[in-house]
Amino acid sequence: MKLEVVSRSGRSIATLDVNPDSTVAELKKKFYGLKKTYYPARQRFALPVKPGETRGQVLSDDSKRLSDYGLADGGKLEFKDLGPQIGYSTVFFWEYFGPLVVYPLFFFLPQYLYPGTKLPAGGPQHALVQKLACGYWCFHYAKRIVETFTVHKFGHATMPIFNLFKNCGYYWGYAAYVSYFVNHPLYTAPNQTVSVACLAVAGLMQLGNLWSHLILAGLRKPGEKDYKIPKGGLFNFVTCANYTFEIWGWLLFSVSVQSIPAYLFAATGAAQMTQWAIAKHNRLRKLFDGKEGRPKYPRRWIIFPPFL
Amino acid sequence: MGNPYLLLYNAALVLGWGYCLYLTIDTMLVKKGTTADLWQVVEMPLKVSQTAALLEVVHSAIGLVRSPVMITAMQVSSRIWVLWGIINPEPVLATGGAVQLSQPLPGVSLPLPAEVGGVPLALNLATLLTAWSITEVVRYSFFAVKELAGSVPYPLLWLRYTTFIPLYPLGVASELSMVRLALPAIWARHLWSVDLPNAFNWAFDYPVLCALIVLSYLPGLPQLYLYMLAQRKKVLSGGSGGKPSGGSGKAKSS
Repeated sequence: MKLEVVSRSGRSIATLDVNPDSTVAELKKKFYGLKKTYYPARQRFALPVKPGETRGQVLSDDSKRLSDYGLADGGKLEFKDLGPQIGYSTVFFWEYFGPLVVYPLFFFLPQYLYPGTKLPAGGPQHALVQKLACGYWCFHYAKRIVETFTVHKFGHATMPIFNLFKNCGYYWGYAAYVSYFVNHPLYTAPNQTVSVACLAVAGLMQLGNLWSHLILAGLRKPGEKDYKIPKGGLFNFVTCANYTFEIWGWLLFSVSVQSIPAYLFAATGAAQMTQWAIAKHNRLRKLFDGKEGRPKYPRRWIIFPPFL
Repeated sequence: MGNPYLLLYNAALVLGWGYCLYLTIDTMLVKKGTTADLWQVVEMPLKVSQTAALLEVVHSAIGLVRSPVMITAMQVSSRIWVLWGIINPEPVLATGGAVQLSQPLPGVSLPLPAEVGGVPLALNLATLLTAWSITEVVRYSFFAVKELAGSVPYPLLWLRYTTFIPLYPLGVASELSMVRLALPAIWARHLWSVDLPNAFNWAFDYPVLCALIVLSYLPGLPQLYLYMLAQRKKVLSGGSGGKPSGGSGKAKSS
């Protein structure tokens, strides 16, 4: 069948001759053959807007057939260029690698990073909490990198390359901001017992987070693409249990080091995770509505009992 | 008629800013007073009218108005910062002084005359208020009429999308002049700043933040101005009384 590909402004870009039973992935490969700039990961196709819709349905499943989307001979497809793409794992690696390296810099090289501040004669003197905090921070990001390559199963393969700079800016920036103050020569160490206890519990939260990630990774069997109701561990009570542990970890870290930049980092992360959690929770509730044989999504906290 | 609360809000602000504009013209032109005299009379109406704009962030956040929250928050916060963070801490310096366009900074000379027809070519509280109040009277009238009648007569639409052309640069330049006048004293006072060591293990330097905000104005300006010009072309050529596209259509106006 012949399909006309148009741009979002209606301009005709190309005409593709494809088999109705071919998949979206095959369509994208064919389009790439005609337009070498747009490799498949950059391509997004949508059906024309139907009455009652605000935007046309996106051909989001690469493995679905064109006929499944109702495409027939003479049909139209709207093309959008998603811009240069970069792999999810690549972005995750670089955004986590920064904090792993940047944070210890302030710990080990204060003579260069605190210009104008007098340093003690025998070299940097760190309280126990500063040492443990550095260890905790580095362990956290090393864990994230390992998870990226061994645990996580990403729903999408790529994201726009601009996100690399945005995400790295966020993670690297906050790493420097928190580390600068926690490792400052004028740092005032809080009560050591409380600090050590908080970091110990934070460590347990990290294990909880890892456990949650393992549960999430096991939800779909290889090849499955559909959404599942998360079960097991804290997921029985909270939709985004992984975020719950993560927020607790950073909250306890902040209490442990008693530094406002750490609290700000924890709060910013919590705000972003809350946004994602609400979206995910609503998506699952909408999907698992209990009708037509689908299970009903159980009543659960969204991200942080007893508040949300 | 649309939402009565919004109609009331916008109408009230037309009156508030209209009054500020009246005071500016009356004090500076009719009574031939100084900017210090102007501050005496306009301080309260200005503070009330400008601070009320915080409600617009709320309106946006709760979905009462279609503008994007982040943009509204940025615009309002920059005005609030100039009023409460720059002028209010050093009112005598900010409202009493002026920045000559021919010599805006020490050591920086611009090839401009010191005065034109007896009027000094300078930026001061009066130019700030002129830019701000005319812009706001037009803006709030636009929204009030839209709320009342559903659409806006072409002359008002034209004003909304044309007055920014001179007023936006005048406003931003005046805001920067307020900073120029007040910041040295704010810097010397180490205003609202926290130093190490302290129990919360952080430091915050407000004067440095002010300097960073000024730097951020520079890339922001041309971008927003060009965006407004593009909007103007789109809206004014699209026929009279048409709805402007995209939220409130207001970029960072001064």
